[in-house]
Order: sequence, then C-alpha cells, then structure tokens
Amino acid sequence: MKPQTRWMSLVSACGAALLLAGVTPAPAVAQEAHVGTLTGHAAAGKPLYTRYCAGCHGDDGDAQGENAMWIDPKPRDFTMATFKCRSTPSGSLPTDQDLYNSVERGFVTTNMPPWVALTPQNRINLVAYIKTFSPRWRTAKPGTPITIPAEPTATIQSILHGRQLYQRMECWKCHGPAGHGDGPSAHELTDNKDDPIRPYNFETGSRFMCGTANQDLYRIFMTGLDGSPMPSFADQLSPAEAWDLVHFLRTLQPLKTRESAIWHEWAATHAGELKPIGPEGGGQ
Amino acid sequence: MIARFIALAALVSVSSGIAGPPHRAPPLPAGTISGKVTYTGTLPKLRPIDMAKEPNCVTQHPTPVMTQDAVTGPANSVRYVVVYISAGDQGAPAATDTVHYDQKGCLYIPHVAAMQVHQPLAIFNDDPHSHNIHPLARVNPEWNKSQPKGAPPIRTSWDQPEFIAVKCNVHPWMHGYFVVLVTPHFTVTDSTGEFSLTGLPAGKYTVTAWHERFGTQSQEVTIGGSETKTANFVLTARPY
Amino acid sequence: MVKRFLTAVAPLAMLLCTAMAPTSTGTAAPTYAAAYATYASAIPAFARKYGLRCSACHTAWPELNAFGQRFKDNGYQLGNDRDSPIWQNNAYWPIAMRTTPQIHLESTTNQVTDAVLTGKTITQAGFDLSGVDFLLLGTLYKDITFGLVPTLDADGTTGLEAAFVRFDNLGRSPWANVKVGKFELDNLLSEKRFTWLSANGGFLYAYHYLPVGSANNFGFGDNQIGAELSGHSLNSYTRYSVSLLTTDDGEPGLPGGKSLDAMFTASRAFAMGSGLGPQRIGVFGYLGHRPTVFDTSGGAPIPGTGSANKSFVRFGATAQLWVGNLELIPLVAHASDAAELGPGGDKPAWNSALLEAHYVATPRLMVQGRYELVRMSKQGDPAFPKTQGNADAFAVGVRAYPFMFSRDGMAIHGEFAMTKTIGTAPLSGDGSGVDPASPTTVVWSRSLLLAFDFAF
Repeated sequence: MKPQTRWMSLVSACGAALLLAGVTPAPAVAQEAHVGTLTGHAAAGKPLYTRYCAGCHGDDGDAQGENAMWIDPKPRDFTMATFKCRSTPSGSLPTDQDLYNSVERGFVTTNMPPWVALTPQNRINLVAYIKTFSPRWRTAKPGTPITIPAEPTATIQSILHGRQLYQRMECWKCHGPAGHGDGPSAHELTDNKDDPIRPYNFETGSRFMCGTANQDLYRIFMTGLDGSPMPSFADQLSPAEAWDLVHFLRTLQPLKTRESAIWHEWAATHAGELKPIGPEGGGQ
Repeated sequence: MIARFIALAALVSVSSGIAGPPHRAPPLPAGTISGKVTYTGTLPKLRPIDMAKEPNCVTQHPTPVMTQDAVTGPANSVRYVVVYISAGDQGAPAATDTVHYDQKGCLYIPHVAAMQVHQPLAIFNDDPHSHNIHPLARVNPEWNKSQPKGAPPIRTSWDQPEFIAVKCNVHPWMHGYFVVLVTPHFTVTDSTGEFSLTGLPAGKYTVTAWHERFGTQSQEVTIGGSETKTANFVLTARPY
Repeated sequence: MVKRFLTAVAPLAMLLCTAMAPTSTGTAAPTYAAAYATYASAIPAFARKYGLRCSACHTAWPELNAFGQRFKDNGYQLGNDRDSPIWQNNAYWPIAMRTTPQIHLESTTNQVTDAVLTGKTITQAGFDLSGVDFLLLGTLYKDITFGLVPTLDADGTTGLEAAFVRFDNLGRSPWANVKVGKFELDNLLSEKRFTWLSANGGFLYAYHYLPVGSANNFGFGDNQIGAELSGHSLNSYTRYSVSLLTTDDGEPGLPGGKSLDAMFTASRAFAMGSGLGPQRIGVFGYLGHRPTVFDTSGGAPIPGTGSANKSFVRFGATAQLWVGNLELIPLVAHASDAAELGPGGDKPAWNSALLEAHYVATPRLMVQGRYELVRMSKQGDPAFPKTQGNADAFAVGVRAYPFMFSRDGMAIHGEFAMTKTIGTAPLSGDGSGVDPASPTTVVWSRSLLLAFDFAF
C-alpha cells in the first residue's frame, strides 16, 4: 500500500472511531458501591431496581414511576443527584454508606419503606445502580463526611443555650416556637421541584427522616436536607453549639428522653424565667 | 557600518525577547457590540410583595416593593436582561473580581447576577435577621445554607455554566438568579435596557439576550476590527 | 397428547409472546393451564395502598419474598407511621379478588367404575373456572390487623377460608403478636401462597396425605381455627409461632367437642450468597387430636359430643435456599396417627419429602418444578401391602406476567402435573374417586393446564 494511502486509511479509521465515540453515548461506567466489606455492582442492581423501586422512582430514576403522581411526598428523583440524608456537606454527593442507610431505614411518614428485609448484598447492588442515573456520579466524588465529635452529657445549661440558638438561628420561623411545624413561613414552603413541603413537627414524636439518634439529629442541621428548605447551619454553629441545639430539640418531642427529663424537672420551678421564642426576640 | 548593524541586530534581538524583558505584541483591534433590549406585547401585572411575615423588611420599604420578574423602563426598555456572547468567543482571561450578591430589605440585590464559571461570588446578608440561600441548581450542585444576621459573606463559585434560580425558603417572595456563563463578555441591562459588550476581537459572534420571563433571543454579529456594531433585541412580553 | 395440545395453542402462544415483548424485564413464555383449589394469595389492595408493584413483596405472586414476609409479619404494615387506615383516602377499600379461568385436561388410569370393575382411564378436558377468592386484609388501626377471606367455589359453594383479627407488636415488640380466628398455619412453605393451580399439582401431598382407610381429616395446608402467638426479628429473618387450634380442621361450630391441637414453627434466615433472598431453614411440628367416640341420639352421632381423643403428629424441617435467581425449597416430614384413627390396629406412620425449584428469571417470568414422595413406613392395618398408599407427585410449570405494576396483576400459567399412587385414589379427586381394584394397582393421574390467573 502506498504510504499516503496507508496514512489516509489510518486517519479515516481514527476519524471514524472518534466520530462514533462522539455519536454513541459514552459506555455506562460499571458503577460500584462500597460499604464495609460489601461491594455492589450496578448490573446486579438493575433487575432488583425494576422489581422493588421502579414503581415509584421510575424506570429511568426520574421519579416518574406509575405511582409517583399519587403519593406525597414525591419519590426521590435520582437524576438530580440531590439527596436529603447525607453525612456530607450541603451541595456534595452522599457517600455509599449514606445511600445504603437510607435504603435500609426507609423514610418515615412517606411511601419509602424500610428495605431491611433485603439482604445486604441486594441493597448494596441497588445503591450501585441508583448511582447510574445521574452523570454527576461520574464527574464528582462524594463529599467528606462531617466530623461529629463525641456528644457531651446533656445538662440544663446545654438545653437552655440550645433554646437561645433556636431563637437566634430563627428555626422557629419554619418549625414554630414550640416546634410544631407551624412557624410563620411553614405553610408556604416548597421543595426544589416547587412541591409543597412541611417542616418537621417535633410534637408528633415520630422518627426523623434521617435516623433516630442524637447523632442523626446533629447531622440533619449540620449538613442540611438538600432538595428541601432545610438549610445547613455548619457555617454558623460550632460543634458544641450544635450539641446544645440537639439537646434542646429533644425536649420538644413527647418522648421519654434524658433531655426531656432534665428539662421538665427544671421547668417545674423555673418556667416563669423563660422568654417566649418568636418574633419578640428573647428566648432566654 | 558593521558595528551599527551589529548594534541594531543586538537591539532587535534584545527587543525580540531573547535575553531582555518580554516583548508585548501590539493590542489586536477590538470591537464592540452594543444595543438596547425592548419589548412588545402586553406586560404581566407586577404585584406588590406582602412582606408582613418579616416586619423588619416592611419597615425598610415605605412603599411596598413590586415583583421583579418583568421590570421595565422608559421607552419599553427591559431591565435584568443578561446579554452575552453565546458562540464565537475566542477566549479571554477569566474574570477574577468578586461578584457581590446582597440580601437587603428581603430582596436580592441585584435581582440577576451574571458571572463567569469559577468567578468568585460573595453573598452578603445585610438584613437584621436570617436568610437561607438556596440556589436551585440542576447542573451544578444544589446547596442550601443558613446565613444569620451579621454572619460573614458566603464565598463560593460555580463550575458549570447554568441559569440558576435562587430562592430563600424563609421568605418565599425572594427570587433571584445566578447566571453562570463560560464567556467573560456579558452584561445585565439596567432600566435603560442598554448594553455594550466590548473588547471583542474580529470574528463572527452570536449574541444572546435572556430574560427570566420573556425568553431568549439570539443574533449573529460579525466584528471586522475596532468597530461598533449594533444589535437590538425586541422581546415578546405576555401577560401570563 | 401433550404435543397435540401444544400445536393447538401455538397461535395463542405467538400472540402472547408478541404482547409481552417490549420491556427489558421479560421474555414471554406461552401456554399455561388452570386451577383447582381455593387459595389466598397476592393482594392487589396492598399494592394500591402503598404504591408498590407486586414484585416488591412477591418473588412471583403469590409467593412471598423476604420483604413481603416482613410486611405480613408486621401485620400488613410497612412501619412508616402511615399504616393506619386514617392515612388512606376514604375511597381506599381493602379488598381484592382473584380467580382463574382456564382450559385443562385431566386423565386418570385404573379407575373403577360399575361397568369396568378392573379399572379404566377416565379423561376430562375443556374450558373451566376456578373459584373466586375475596381477599379483605389490612389494618383496622395501627397494630391491629384483620383478615377476611370469603370464597366462592366454581360450583357456587360459598365458604369462609379465613377470618381473623391480629394484635401486632404487643408491648411495642415484634416478638409478640396474637392472632385469633381462622387462618393459615404459619408454614414456611405456604400452600395458600404457592404457584401451582392444577388438579394434581395444586396441593402438596406432604400436607394432605392420609393413609388409606384413615378416619382423620387433618390437612396441614388447611386453614385452622384457633389462636396464634408469633414473633419475628425486625427483618423477619428469625421467626417463630405457637398456636392452639380447635380440632376439626377448620370446621366451625365446634364439631369436635372439647379438644385442642397445638402447632409450632421456627425458622432462621441468613444473608448468605447473592441470591434474590436470604437462605432460610425452619422446623415445624403439629400435635393434633381427634375424638373417636360420639354420643348418639337415635343412633346418629350428636355433633360436638366427641370424646376419647386420640392424637396424631406431624413434624418436619424445610428450607428456602437461593442461588442467584434459582430458589430451592426442600422439605422432609414425618407423620404418624394413633391406631384408633387409622384403618387398623397399628399406628400408621409415613415419611414425605419434596423438592420444589423456582427459577425467577425476571419479576415477570418464573419456571418451576416440584417432586414429592410419600412412603408409608408402617401401615395401620398389618394386612395392607407395605407399599399401599405410597405416592409420587411431579409437576412442572411456567408463569408469565404480561405486566407487573401496582394496581392489579395477571399471570398466564401453564402447568403439567402427574401423580402416581399405589392402591389408592389420587388425592386430587380426579377420576371416579374410588380406590383402585387392588391394593397394589398403580394409578397415574395427570393434569395439563393453561390458565389466566388474575387478581385486582
């Protein structure tokens, strides 16, 4: 073959390959997920997703499953790669552990069940498949989980300081002065898809969306619930202040917690000293 | 004469940067695209914003503020239109000055902030109460942060071009935009509706005007050298 | 015979194949066959209430998967604080129905008739109906569950297959739940939620076999009336139940007098392997009593006056094992009845073993097979030949679901089942219903079924 022709055929072959690479969609990255010693694979997760998840979350992960129009809150749209329950800062992707925990725990007061009966291997495979719905998983890494220092013992000083923070951080504007989800801005809240959404009502005592322990509560307001009106306060609260707020928030729930016992004991004799929480300022 | 020649050669070689200070090329001729954005059609009614939820803000506005999604000026000019080069850009140094975005009187000032990818953005809270900043990004990561009274500015930047709606969940009437662009050639119209994109080398450009309600329009403009070309936009207003 | 049948339905098969082609989750399988016994099953009402597809709770409905088992153990509650009826739209009504129009063929050899005392082959074929199950199950209130399953047989007989109330999570613990009423025993291999429908394949020999001439009427797969205390771990991987039951195989009106039966089950699942579900093993046991003496009035026994109870036992072990999408269900059991309940002076005893396999290719296609054997280890009447009553049962089937979503469901079901019994009529009731001419005659009974099994 003449050198020129060989060169031309090489160029055209390369050109064809480049053209094809541009025209055909990039091959799906063999997405994996890792939690502990478990490794999940997207290919194994796909049939599980069709079986368990697609009815609400949609075959394309876009929250357009056949049931989505009938349920409220709406299912998570995986194509947006925005997730409420994370251990990572606001705006960053959750870790595989975060997604795995959400699948296992479910979301109370929603249609997302706890999938704890599925084997851990099945759940990690599902996590790997969920990550194929958004291109952001290929270009960005999950954020670094925030550090949660050890919880200090709950004391009345901690609770009272937490109460001041509740006032100062203006949590009451959505969650209400007594945490009943009835603050002045509560009824007009919308999520990132403009669907109405209500703030958590501490009076119900139901589980939080993202867990049940004090560490989970800490994480909720120190990472924010992305996609919802709940912002991150990580830039505004020190860890010590955050724990004080956690202790106070526990007193708003009708549960038998250590914090509520301390609070009720103190309030029995000192309740008159408290300034009300709300627009008047104050909140001792 | 040989000595003079050698001296001249040395001078030339020095001035051509072999050993001396950098040699600057003379600046390329740069043109300008300027024009005005106006509208035809029926404007939507702007409504007064009820800020009663936040008494601090009611006191800051003796007369109620009107909604800002269709602000116009004299002679049918349109405000808050982002005019930018959407194609033909030949590259220019990235903008490094910080874009300021303020929350004051329960409003975003400016209503629309345009910036380049990676350009620093600083968000200030000058109100005597908290706001939360919630840029509803879809291509960039969506985040949501609380910013109490007196808190330092939130400093951030964006990695991808996108038109990002910004809202405050606590004060649901607050709407704004971050317009993140690849090109450094952009501007946001004021109430005169006039714009001017400068420093454009010769070439063929597509100029795009974007308004949050009246849509997008583009025009092709060719710049020959240091000339000023006019490109006017007439956006169609609808009452709904 | 089978070949002729298949050629006849080939055009229908083609139609079904193309109808089921589109999505990536399934390839169609043609021809199915139809049903026999009443059955509790998949509950589309739950799919409507929670917005889950049938495949979320069922491997291939009506068989439950681990998630569905947990849902059932929890009192048909998902546990998201939204289970109580007050969270549903007033228009939600917890009722679902299931029935199965079908075409089937039954053929049984060596059937004794008046004209042919040595036995002839009796064959039936044609279009037919199954009964209808009305499945009303759900919650009355948080942690109070109810079930009501009236049935309508194909011939118009009405029945009440289940009627119970269950108090769930007593003391806020999943380990204590009490159910009272008529309900299915807590069998790990559930006969009410299995995927077989034909006359010969639609029941388990291991659960219903009784020796020739036995006066017992117990069927392990029959719903019984009583009270059950059960419990489970949070993911239902560990489960137990203990029941006290009245003694007449689920017949109301206390016809058996005063005696009680008792049952226990326990199972444990392990998250091993990467199959569709965990690996589970379990044991079960049943201690029953039946009266042998009745008071009489005018020579006829007075119902409910039974006494001189004699006991019988059933116990065994079973497992549910997953290898990828292949599910294997082995079961071994031993049974013995008191001599007074049996045909003769000795205590009859027998052993049964079965292996059932399901290949759940996709949530919309399942291929299955089962082989059972029953062997008498001791005849009740020493005059009986050693092998009389021994049975082998074999079945294969396919279930293809044209759609799998959250409102209702349909399966196109094909099944071939064959039983071989020695010296006794097949348990299916096919044929003349009379034992064959001699105790050593081998009776073959075959069923071929194509059915449209739907529930909504």
